[in-house]
Formats: sequence, structure tokens, C-alpha cells
Amino acid sequence: MIQFDGAAVQAEHPATRQILAPLDLFLGEKRISIIGANGSGKSTLLKLINSLVLPTSGRVSVNGLDTARRGSAVRRSVGFMFTDPLSQLVMPTGREDVELSLRRRHRHRGERRAAAEKVLERFGLAHLADQSVYDLSGGERQLLALAVVLACDPVVLVADEPTTLLDLRNEARVRSLFRSLDQQVIFTTHSLEFAREAERTLVVDSGRIVFDGAPADAVAAYRELSLHGAAAEGRR
Amino acid sequence: MRGHASLLGAYVERTSVLHAAPLWAKFIPVAVLSVLVLTLWSPWVTLGALGLVILAYLAGARLTVRELVRPLARMWPLILILGAFQWFNAGPLTAFIVVGNIVVCVLAALLVTLTTESQRLLDGLVLLAHPLKRFGADPERFGLTVALMLRSIPYLVGAAEDSRDAARARGLERSPRALILPVFIGAVAYAQQTGEALAARGLADPEHDDDGALPGDAPDAFRG
Amino acid sequence: MQQTNPAPHPTPAGTPARARTSWNATDLSLIAVFAAVVAASAILPAIPVGQVGVPITLQTLAIMVTGIVLGPWRAGAALSLYVAVALAGLPIFSQFRGGIGVLFGPSAGYIIAFPIAAFAVGFLARIVFRRFDRFRFLALFAACTATSLLITHPFGIVGMMINAKLDLAAAVAADVVFLPGDILKNLAAAAIGLSVVKAFPRLQSRPARRS
Repeated sequence: MIQFDGAAVQAEHPATRQILAPLDLFLGEKRISIIGANGSGKSTLLKLINSLVLPTSGRVSVNGLDTARRGSAVRRSVGFMFTDPLSQLVMPTGREDVELSLRRRHRHRGERRAAAEKVLERFGLAHLADQSVYDLSGGERQLLALAVVLACDPVVLVADEPTTLLDLRNEARVRSLFRSLDQQVIFTTHSLEFAREAERTLVVDSGRIVFDGAPADAVAAYRELSLHGAAAEGRR
Repeated sequence: MRGHASLLGAYVERTSVLHAAPLWAKFIPVAVLSVLVLTLWSPWVTLGALGLVILAYLAGARLTVRELVRPLARMWPLILILGAFQWFNAGPLTAFIVVGNIVVCVLAALLVTLTTESQRLLDGLVLLAHPLKRFGADPERFGLTVALMLRSIPYLVGAAEDSRDAARARGLERSPRALILPVFIGAVAYAQQTGEALAARGLADPEHDDDGALPGDAPDAFRG
Repeated sequence: MQQTNPAPHPTPAGTPARARTSWNATDLSLIAVFAAVVAASAILPAIPVGQVGVPITLQTLAIMVTGIVLGPWRAGAALSLYVAVALAGLPIFSQFRGGIGVLFGPSAGYIIAFPIAAFAVGFLARIVFRRFDRFRFLALFAACTATSLLITHPFGIVGMMINAKLDLAAAVAADVVFLPGDILKNLAAAAIGLSVVKAFPRLQSRPARRS
């Protein structure tokens, strides 16, 4: 249950540029995909949900919690997954990183260990738990990043292009994992096929939502938009 | 990553009384011993302390003579210069006390490091922050910061080596800017990335911060 | 214990209430990473610089840059964190030393001066960035050098007088050897600090973006 009330984001530096135009939006569906060109404002839109970015005007709330006033409560209920798992993972090994996630929930060291073990097993990562995250493959790292985020049982999962850096097999793996989640999931992607797996799709262009509706229609609208854009570039 | 092992390599694994002892049981005697030799200021005390420390190394921690001498090897120029200087200036007795006390203090403190895994040392450090809780200290956040720091050292050592290679490839190996600047730029970028990851996971938030304050309430000290 | 280990006081968890509560994730991360930068600069082998290739270690340079880039509070916290972790026993002082024993060695004064120097440089650098539009490089160099002369070296001298029982003249003589190198490092620190602040303009003026 995510509500945008006239939320806009203004760039700090060249004070005139608008990163995201004022937005009124209610996101209630269980699977929502967001597509759009690089730099269109997709990531900013996602970060607004997790209060990583605060609206410069208007407000965003998650389950009634204002992201500007209740930032840390919002972050506890919204998990955020970065494109590059290495931006996500903070500790040198998977086990330590999952334990870090569980820090707040389990004060006792032994309990935390046991809980971390369970999470790692659930994602099939137990055998890699003590390896350096730099030694894992891209797919393993992304799975670990997902495990780390889901370890705290967020109500909403927000994922910024979770499959962009993956090969086809690992993409399929992450996608099937996404399908199996109980949480509300909101993700951006460049894979139109992946985008179609949602119930609702937003198309973002130059900081505005230019289409909002059924995935198949959204993909068609996005195709047209991209072709137009490319043609316009060509004429110049 | 590169450098990780050597950095935390001070710990020597062994089964001994001192290895098994809790951290405070090692730390407090070391502190007491250091203060004693420095305040009593007598050659006999220094000599006794020296014997005690050697005994602790060989019998208490079951370390070898070689492991006892290794830290001294790094200190010998200092011992030599300082010893000679004090000998000429104040006589052999003072020279012995000055140099002997430094050796006692350094060896004793090092013994704690040699017999305690780094994770336990750091847990001990974080524990020290607990009594300060009522002055507003937050041991959890402190512990997280310590962990982040340790995680960053090998990364930065690797980055520094990379930038050295890159500078060499461009023929700039004698230019401090080409050697050092990328390390600092990289460090800031890395810190910001890590900060965002922590924020996204809600890990760096103070324990009870949901008092309705706006996150924009930055302290004046940080305002431009 | 309180005297031998200044650890927990000035760390992110322990500075005056207002500054601490509002340190966000990026601030903590910057403090941790710059503490690590100082540690790495202490344990990395010295690098050859200049025409003759004089090897220099970069620790004092790293401390000055930390001050310029992070400002007084975060820089002071970063250096306190570094010193606390090293005193706790991790071998991250120069020549892989660590543990409270270092406080009884002749270099104790310099080590106690680290956090204070970082704070001072940060404080002066903030003034430079606010008041100076030109001559920033020279002003930063002056800030670093003032800190070296008024904080780092006097603390170092007092440390040697206490722990190595040197008289003032001998301690000064032992300390002065480091001065020319420090002046050169301050030149480099001013240039590097300025470049880093140019690359990340929001760093100095206020905390990185709130989260």
C-alpha cells in the first residue's frame, strides 16, 4: 500500500531541473513493474518508496507511514535491492552480511547465527556462507543480496533492475524466486519479458509517468515511445 | 581480497591458559603492570616485570622464543638509539629503565593481541561503549562502524595497489597526485555507496529515532 | 582504563548529543572508510615520490585530507575510531603495531594528537571553504601546517619527553627531523583535499544526502 501525493523531486544542483514531476499514485497490486529509458527517473521513483530519496514537495507514504517523518520505520518494512549486489553487500562474507541484517531482531549472538543459517539455507547459499562475496559469481551474489534483504521479512520488496547484470540462466532463477515471494514487489527492469510478469506496469519517461496500466499495453506504449525517440534523435 | 589475511594475522592460534582466558582478565593485568613499572620507576621492578612478561609469553601463552623476539626485532633501532642516548645523558641505570619499560609495556600489550582473536578484541571494544549508553552512546552503531572500517581496509589497500599500477601504466609513477588522489576519490565514492546500502537496509538508524523528527534536522555543525 | 583507552568517547556513538543523533548512514560510512584510509596509509609500504624517489609514508597526509574532506566532527570521529581500534590491539599503526602498549612508547604523543589534528584541520578547512573563493590551496596548506606546528608536533614532543624521558631539547631535535617531510605532505594534502572536495562538492558543506 504505497501512496504518492503530489510527490516531486527537484535536482539539487542545477536548481531548475526536475528529476520527477509531481506524482499522484496509489500502488496496491502485488506485482508492479516499471520500465523506461536510462535516466528517466525510474530509480528515483523506487528510492522514494524506501525513503532513500525524500520528495522535495508532496509526500510519499507506505502503509500510512510518511517516508519523510518515519524514515527508519519505512525502511524496516520496505526492502530495497540494488542492481549491483556489491552495492548491497556490506560485510566480507555472506554469513556476516545476513547476520548484520538480523542484528535488530536477534540480540543474542547464538540466535542470530542460527537464524542466519536458516536464511542462507532457504536461498540455497549455505555452502557459500563463508566465502568472500568477491569470490562469488554474479548470480550467487544477486541471490545473496536478495537473501540479505528478505532476511528481515519486509512487507514490500523494491528492486532496481535486479536482473540487468545477470546471464540468462541466473535471470530465470531470480525471476522464479520473485514469483514465489509473498511480499508486494515493485521492480524496474529493461527486460520487457520480465516486465510482463507483473499485474500492472508503469512507463516512465523524462521524470513523468506516461503510461500506467496492463503490462502488455505498457510494453507496446514503451516500444512506440522508444522508436519515436530514436527517430527524433536520428533526424537531428 | 588482498591484504585481508595479513592484516588480521596478529593472532597466533594455540591452546593455552592465556588463549582461553577472557579478554578482561588479560587486559586489566597488562594495564596494571604498565602503570606500575612507569610509576615505581625502579630497575628492580622493570627487571621483575620483564621476567614476568617473558614467563607469560613462554608458559602462559605457550608461545615460542621466536614469537617473543619477533616484535622486538621491529623495535631494535629505537631501543638502540634511545638506550645509547640515555646512557650518555643519564647513565646506564636510567637507560635500562627507560628502554626496559618500553619493552615491557609493548610486549605485554602485544600479548593480548597475540592470544585473542580480532573479533573478540573488537567485541571487547564495543563492550566498552556500553557504560557510556546513558551519555547517549549507541554501542550497536559503534560496532557497525568498527565492522565497516575493518571491511574497508583490504578494499582500500587493493585500490591503492591498483592505482599504483594504473599510474605506472601511464608513466606517472612519481606523481603523488596520480598515485594518491584516485584512492581518496575512490574512498569517498565507496563510502557513499556503502552508506546508501546501509540506509536502504535500515541498518544505520539510531535505535529510537521515530520521534517525529525530520531526517533533515542536521546539526548546525554540518550545515554549509 | 579510561586513561589508557580514549576509545569509546569520541567515536560515532559518543560525541556530543546533537552531532551524533543526526549522523546518517552515509556519515557513519564516511567515518568508517576514512578511518580505514588512515589505517591503510599506515600499513602500506612507503611510496617513492619525486625525482630522487624519497620513500614516504602517507599517514599524516591521510589525516590532513580526512580533515579537509570530512570537516571537524566526522574527521575527529574517524581518527578516534582508528586510534581506538588500533589501541584495542589491531596491528594498524605504522610498522604493524597495535595495542595499548603503543601509548607507553615514544610515539604516543603523535597518536593522541591524530584525532585532535583531524578535528583542527577540519575546523580550519571549513572556514577556508566558507570565506575564501580564491587562494584556497594556499589557505588549506596554511591550515594543515598550522595544525602540524601547533598540535601534532608539540604533542609528539611532549610524548617523547614523558615516555622516552628525553629533555625538551632532545625531544625537539628528534621531532624536527619529521618537519620537512610533513611540510611536503601538507602541500600534497591541500592539493588532494581540494580535488576531492571539487569531485564531491556536497561533502564539505554539509552531510551527504540525508537518508
